Amino acid sequence: MATPTLDRFLSSVADLVKARDGSQLQDFLQLEPPLPDIYRQMVVELRQHYPSGPKEADLLRRCEALVPKSKGASWAAFATFMKLYFTFLRDVNLDNLLDTYDLLKGLLNQCVLALGDSQMGVVVLPTVLYLSKVLSKLAMGLDRRPELVAHLLRLEGRSNQEEATEKVTLVEKSANVVREAFIKCLTDRSGTPGIHGKPEGKRIGIYLMANLCLKLLFQCGKLRNAEQMFASISAQSPPLKHFPASQRVTYLYYLGRYLFSNNLFYPAQIALQASYDQCHRQATNQKRVILTYLIPCNIIMGRFPSSQLLQRPEAEGLADKFLPICRLIARGDYIAFREHLAIGSPETEWFARKGILLALRNRCEILVWRSLARKVFIHAGFHGESSHGPAQRGPPPYLYLNKLDAAVRWIQTQHAQSSQGAIGFFSPRPEVDSKAGQNLVGSQIVNKTPDWDFEGLNELEAQEAVASPGLMAKYGDYLAPDGCFDAHGQWQANAVGNLVDGQPSAEYQHYELDPYASQADSGQEGKPTLMMRELESILASLLTQGLMRGFLTHKNPRLAIPGARVRGAVPTGFPNVSQTILAREREDDNVPGWVQSPEMAAVPAAGGGRVVNLSGARPVGVQ
Amino acid sequence: MSNPTPTQDTKAEPAQQPQQQKPPVLEEDDEFEDFPVEDWPQEETEQGSAANGTSAHLWEESWDDDDAAEDFSKQLKEELKKVEASH
Repeated sequence: MATPTLDRFLSSVADLVKARDGSQLQDFLQLEPPLPDIYRQMVVELRQHYPSGPKEADLLRRCEALVPKSKGASWAAFATFMKLYFTFLRDVNLDNLLDTYDLLKGLLNQCVLALGDSQMGVVVLPTVLYLSKVLSKLAMGLDRRPELVAHLLRLEGRSNQEEATEKVTLVEKSANVVREAFIKCLTDRSGTPGIHGKPEGKRIGIYLMANLCLKLLFQCGKLRNAEQMFASISAQSPPLKHFPASQRVTYLYYLGRYLFSNNLFYPAQIALQASYDQCHRQATNQKRVILTYLIPCNIIMGRFPSSQLLQRPEAEGLADKFLPICRLIARGDYIAFREHLAIGSPETEWFARKGILLALRNRCEILVWRSLARKVFIHAGFHGESSHGPAQRGPPPYLYLNKLDAAVRWIQTQHAQSSQGAIGFFSPRPEVDSKAGQNLVGSQIVNKTPDWDFEGLNELEAQEAVASPGLMAKYGDYLAPDGCFDAHGQWQANAVGNLVDGQPSAEYQHYELDPYASQADSGQEGKPTLMMRELESILASLLTQGLMRGFLTHKNPRLAIPGARVRGAVPTGFPNVSQTILAREREDDNVPGWVQSPEMAAVPAAGGGRVVNLSGARPVGVQ
Repeated sequence: MSNPTPTQDTKAEPAQQPQQQKPPVLEEDDEFEDFPVEDWPQEETEQGSAANGTSAHLWEESWDDDDAAEDFSKQLKEELKKVEASH
C-alpha cells in the first residue's frame, strides 16, 4: 500500500475517536476549499488506490478499523460516514454545484446517522454542526442565485416547472436534514433530560441545530414546519437560560418572528424584547434585525418606539420606516393610512420583504379608527354637564354617530380632491377608497372595483335582445355553442350564433337579477344608511376589543360613555391602548417554545404576579 | 474542445458580470448574522448597561394626538363645526 498520507490521516482519526475528541475530529474533516496540501495529497492517493468501483469496499474496510469495537455494538454508521467523506474529497467537482450539494447532503445525512449512536454519537456533534453550516451556506447561496444551477436542473430534467409542483427547494431539503440532527440532539437520553436537565451530551447542540434549521425554514418560507420543532423543544429541552448567550439571542429572535407571523403578538414581543435585551451591546446588525420585528410588534400592541430608541445606532433607518405609520395611526386619517401601506406604494416593498406588511395593515387600522372616533368625540361630542350637582345627574357623555359619518365623508372628499391635484397634507395619489362613499351597494369605506363578470348587471334590462358582439366574443362558446344535449340526453345541433338559452329579455324579464335589490330602501326615513351600518360595526369592534368603553344605541345612533364622572369623558371612553391590551394579554405570560427553568415556571402556578383582568368591571356606584 | 483555454476565459468574463451585480438586491441585513463570540456576560448586554443606572425609555404608551393645531385636527374641527351649524 503506497498511501502514506491517507494512512497517517486514518491513524490520527482513530486516535481522536478513541479520545472522543469531537472538536479536533471536526477540525480534521475539512472539505471547504482551499484545502491544505495534505488533503490534496490524500485526494491523489484516493484516486489512485480507491477509484470509484469495487475498490471502494476496501476503503470501507479501512474505515471500519477506525471504530472501537469494545462493547459489542459497533459504530458502523461512522465507518460509512468516513468512507463517504473520502469519496466526497475524491469526487467533488465545484463546477457542478448541484452535484456538490447532493454529495454534501448525503455526507451530512450519514453523519447524522452516526450522531444517533447513544455511546459515540456525541463525538461527531461538532462535525454535524460544521457540515450543516456548509450545506446551509451552499443551499442559501444557490437559492439567491438560481442562475448558477438552472442549467444543471434543466440538464437533469428537474426543470423549473417540476420544481414548482414539488415545492421542495434545496433550502427546504437542507432544513429537513438539519432537523434530523436537531431531533438526535434533543432526544439524547444520557443524563437528566427535559426541563430539569442541563445542556450535556448531545443536548448542547439543541439550539445550535434548531437555530440553523430555523434560519433555513425562514429562508424558504416554510414556517409551518417549525411548529413541531417548537413543540418538541417545549416538551423535551432543558431551560434556555443554561445555553450560551449567542444561542439564546438567536433562538429567541426566530421564535419571536415565528410567533409574530402567527399573529401571537404578545408572546412575540416578550421573546423579541428578551432577544434584544440579551444581545451583545456591540452587535449592531443583529440588534437592528431584532428591532425590525420588535418595533412593529409593539406598534400593533399600541406602543410606539421612543425617540430614545430610534436614536440608537442599531435603529438607524428604522425611524423613517416606522414613524410615518405611528403618525398616521395617531392622526386618524384611515385613507392616508391605507394608502401608505397599499400595494405599489414605495414604502410597501420594504415591509413586504420583511414579512410585516400585512400584519401592520390588518392590525393597525383599528387603531386608526379609534383615533378618528376619539378626535370626532373631542370636537363634536357631548362631554357631560359639569353644572349639575351630584344629586342631579345629567345624561352621560355621548357622540352622535352622524358626526363620525360626516367626518368620514369629509376625509373621503379631501382625498378625492387631493387626487385631482390639490396640495396639502393629503398625498397626491389617486385613491380609490375616497370614492367608496358614493357606492350604491356594498362598503362605503372600502372601494372595490366590481367583479367584471357581474359588470353591467344593472343595465341588463336596458339591453336589447341581441347579445352584444363583445359578450359573444368572450362567451360565444358558452352562449351559442355548436349544439347541446336536451333533457333526454339527445344531442341537438344549434345554428351558428343562436343563443341556446333563448333571449334574455324575453325569457328572464320577470326575474330579479340584482343581488342587492332588497336593500334598495336603505337610506330612507328611519333606516340607517349603509355608511352608518358600517361605522356602527367598526365602533362595535372597538368596544369588543376594549379599545373604546361605552355602548352604542342603534336607534338614533349614538356612542354613550357612562361612568365618566371621575376620570372624564375622553380617558374613560378611549382608554390607553397599550395598557388595555397588556391588561388582557398579561393573563398568560407563557411564551410557547421558550423553556423556562422549573422555579420560574412554578411562579404562575403559585398565583403570584398574576394580573386579574377587571376591564369588564364597573366602578362601584356607577350605572 | 478545440478552443484554446485563454479564449474560454475571455468568454466567461462578460457572463459573470451581471451575476456579480445581483447580490445587492437582497440586503445583507435581511439575514440574522452569526455572532463572532459564543457567550457573553449580562454586563455586556444592553440590559446590563441599563441596569447600571440609566434606565432606558424605549416605548411610548401615550401617543394620542391632542395637538389641536395640527393640520388634520384643525380642519376636522372646522368641518365638524359646519355640520353642527347646518343642523
